Amino acid sequence: MWTRKASFTFTGGIALVLIGMMISNLQMMILGLTFVAFIVVNSWISGHGEVEVQRTLSADNLYKGDDLYVELLVTNRSNRNTQLLEVYDNIPHEMKLRSGLNQMRLNLKPGESARIRYVLRCPLRGHYSIGPVSLRSRNTFNLSVDEMYVDHHSDIVIFPQIKEVEEAFLRSRTPKMYTGATTLRTPGQGSEFYSLREYVPGDPFKNINWKAFARTGELMVNEKCRDAVTDLYLLLDSRDIARIGTVLKNPLEMGTVSAASLAAFFLKRRDSVALAIFDEKLSYLPPDTGDKQYFKILSALAGVSPKGSMPLQAVTNSLSGRFSRGSPVFIISSCEGDGTVPAAVRDLVGRGHEVTVLSPSSIDFERLVSRIPRMSYEVLKLERQNRLTTLAGSGAQVIDWMPDMDLSQALMQVRGY
Amino acid sequence: MAEDVGLQRDVTVNGDFHSRTLHLKLLRKQWQIIALQVIATVALVGMYLEVVSTYVVGSIDHTMLFDTIEVLIGQQLPIGDFLTGEGNSGLGRFSVPLVLGLSLGGSMAFLAFQTPKTQQRIKLGFIITLIVVLVGRLIISWGFSMLTSFDLRLPDQGELATLEWPLLMIMSLMIMFIYLLPVIMGTRGIWGLSRRSIAWSIGFTLLFLGIHAILAFPLINGQLGTYGEALATVETQFTEPTIGLFGLMLVTSEQFALIMIAILIMVFQESSYGVIRYLEYAYRLPESCKRDPEYVRQMDNVLNTHLKHTFGFLGLTGIATMVALGFHSVLLDIVEGSTGSQWAGQVSESIELSLTYGLVISALMFLSIMALLRFFVPWERVWGLINSVRGQTPMTASNPAKEVVEL
Repeated sequence: MWTRKASFTFTGGIALVLIGMMISNLQMMILGLTFVAFIVVNSWISGHGEVEVQRTLSADNLYKGDDLYVELLVTNRSNRNTQLLEVYDNIPHEMKLRSGLNQMRLNLKPGESARIRYVLRCPLRGHYSIGPVSLRSRNTFNLSVDEMYVDHHSDIVIFPQIKEVEEAFLRSRTPKMYTGATTLRTPGQGSEFYSLREYVPGDPFKNINWKAFARTGELMVNEKCRDAVTDLYLLLDSRDIARIGTVLKNPLEMGTVSAASLAAFFLKRRDSVALAIFDEKLSYLPPDTGDKQYFKILSALAGVSPKGSMPLQAVTNSLSGRFSRGSPVFIISSCEGDGTVPAAVRDLVGRGHEVTVLSPSSIDFERLVSRIPRMSYEVLKLERQNRLTTLAGSGAQVIDWMPDMDLSQALMQVRGY
Repeated sequence: MAEDVGLQRDVTVNGDFHSRTLHLKLLRKQWQIIALQVIATVALVGMYLEVVSTYVVGSIDHTMLFDTIEVLIGQQLPIGDFLTGEGNSGLGRFSVPLVLGLSLGGSMAFLAFQTPKTQQRIKLGFIITLIVVLVGRLIISWGFSMLTSFDLRLPDQGELATLEWPLLMIMSLMIMFIYLLPVIMGTRGIWGLSRRSIAWSIGFTLLFLGIHAILAFPLINGQLGTYGEALATVETQFTEPTIGLFGLMLVTSEQFALIMIAILIMVFQESSYGVIRYLEYAYRLPESCKRDPEYVRQMDNVLNTHLKHTFGFLGLTGIATMVALGFHSVLLDIVEGSTGSQWAGQVSESIELSLTYGLVISALMFLSIMALLRFFVPWERVWGLINSVRGQTPMTASNPAKEVVEL
C-alpha cells in the first residue's frame, strides 16, 4: 500500500508533468517524470520475505505484580532481505513494559535472526494472551507499507497475589467425617500430645505442665499435635456489585487475594479447601488438598470477573448439602445489594458451621473513585454497620475490611467477635 | 533475560570489548550516519550548482545584481569582490559564496547542539554586534560632537553618512543570504538534524524553479521586455541526444542536467530525512535497548540498506527517467524501421511527436510499462536468486558471523 508520501510524490509528479506541458517547461516535466519514475522503480520491490516468529516466556503462570520475561525470536526464512521491517509484539493493555521494548526495526538477511527481549509487569490477575505479532514492512524511502499479523499467541495466567496469613487459626470443631482425622506430626493446635518444650513468654498458662515443672524446676509446656484435616469452604462473591472502586482496588480484587491467600495457608497445612464463586452462576470446586487443588483454585480465581447478581442464599441452599459437618465457611462478600445474606448466614450457623464473613467495605471503595457527601457516607456506613452487626448476631464472625487494611491485619479481627 | 540486556556486550573471540550502543553521542559518529550526511551535503551542493549553472549564472546571478546596485548608487558595495565572486566567470562566481554558505549552515548546525544558555549568549552577541555595526559609529560621532559643543541637536549629514556603509553591507549580506538560502538551510538541516531547515531548502529550490518556469513562459516572458530576454530558458524542442547508456543515445545534455537536478533533490531529501528518522528512532529507544547488541546490529543493517538503496534505487530512477525520455526516439525508430511506409516516414518526421507532448506521453507510457512489469517479473524471486548466488541462503546464513560471542 502506498504511503501518504508516495501518493503526494506521484500526484505531484503528474501535476508537474501536466503543468510543464501547459507552460512548455521542460524542467517541470522532467522533475515530474523523475518523481513518477521514483515511485515506479520503488514499487518493484514490495512486502517482505517469509518471517518466522517464536516467542518464549519465562513462565506460564505468574502471581499478580510479578515480572514476565519475554523473548521473541524473528527469523527470515526466505531468500531475500526483509527490507525495513517493524516487528511489534502485541501485549495485553493490562500489562506494562518494565524493561526493554516490544518492538524493533530490523532488516534481516536470508536466514538471519533477531531477538527482541523485554520484561512485562503484570499488575492485574487474569487469563491473558500475548500476541499476535504485527509486522509492518516499509520501503527504505517510506513509499510503501504493508501490514500483516503472525498469528502466534502465548497464553499466560496471572494468579491473584498471595498474602502472608499468620494468625488465621481456624479449625473445624468436628473432625472430617469420611477420611477421619489424620494426626499430623507437626506441632500446632490440637488435642493429642506432641512433646514437651520450654516455656516461652506468651504461652498460655493452661498449657504449662506443672508436673514437669515440679520435677525439673523449669517451666515446661505441653505441645499438641495439630489436628487435621479441616475442610474449608470459601464462598467468593463475584457479582457485578463487586466491581465498585478502582481497577486495582475493588471488593472483587481484594476478595480474590484473600481467597487465594486463605487457600494457600490452609493447603499448606494440608487441609482441604473448596471454592465456590457466585456471579451470574455458581462455580464450585469440591474440597481437595495438595498442589493440584492449589493450582485449580488459583486458576479459577484468576479468571473471575464481576457479573450477575446471584443471591447468597441460593448458593448456600445448593451447597449446604455438600459441606462437611461443622467445617468452617468463609464468605468473602461486601454483603451489598443482597437481602438474603443474613438468612443464608443464619442457616449455615444453624447447621453448625463456623461462618466467617470477610466483607470488603464497598462504601469506602466507592469513595476512592467518587466523592460521597459526608452525611450520605455516614448514613451508608451506619447501614453497613447495622448489616454486619446483624450477621454477627447470627453467630458469624464478621470482618469489616477497609481498603487500606492488610489481609493479615483484617483476619486479626476474627478474635474480636 | 531482558534485564540482562544491560549486561550483554559484544566481545570478540580475541577478547576485545566493543561497547557499541545506540546512544546519539556514539551513533552520530557512526560511519553510515556520517556517510549519509556527506552524501546529502554533496547532493545539496550538486543540486545547487546544477540549478545555478542552468538558470542563474550569467542570467540573474548575484554578481550581476551587485553590479546593477553599484551602478545605481554610483559607488562600490562595501562587501569585498573576493567574497561575492565578482570578476569571476561561470560557476566561479559561486565558489566562495558556496563555501561561505556551507560554513554558515555548519555554524548554525553547531550552534543548535549547544546548551540553550550558550545559544542565547551567542544570539545576544550577534544582535549586539549587529546593532553596534549599524549605529555604533553614528552614536559615537553624534554623541561626542554634542558633548564637545554642549548642544542638543539632530545628527547632521556627515554623521548620517556613517549609516551608509553598514546599511549597504547588511543589504549585500542579505542578498547573498537569499541566493545561498538553499545551501545554508540545507547544511543546517543535514548536520543540525532539522527537518524544517531541509524543507526550507527544498521548498526554496522548488519555489525558485516554479517562479522561473512561470517567468520563462513565453506569454509572460514577452511582457518582461529586456529582463525577460535575460532569463535563461531550456529549449523544449527535441534535439539530437548526446548522452546515453551502452552506446544508445537517450537524452540531450540539457535534459541530463535537468534530470540531475531532480535526482539530486531526491538524494538530498532522502539521505537527510533518513538520518533524522533513524536518529529519532534510536533516541526513543529505552536505555536497555540502546545497549542491546541486537538493536545495534539491526540498526547497522537498516543503515547499510539505506546506503545501498540510495545509490541503487535513485540511480535506477535516474536511468529510468533517461530511458523514458529516450523512449520517444526509440518509438520513432521502431515505427520507421518496422514499416518503412510513407505513413511511417510521416510519423517519424511529425513535429508534434518531436515536441513536448510526444516526448512526455511516450515517457509516461514507458514508465507505465515499467510499473506493469512489477506484476509480470517476480522481482522477489530475482532478488532471492541473486542472494542465493551470493551465498546468502537461509541454510548458510542461519548462524550469524561468529566473531561475536554473546555472554
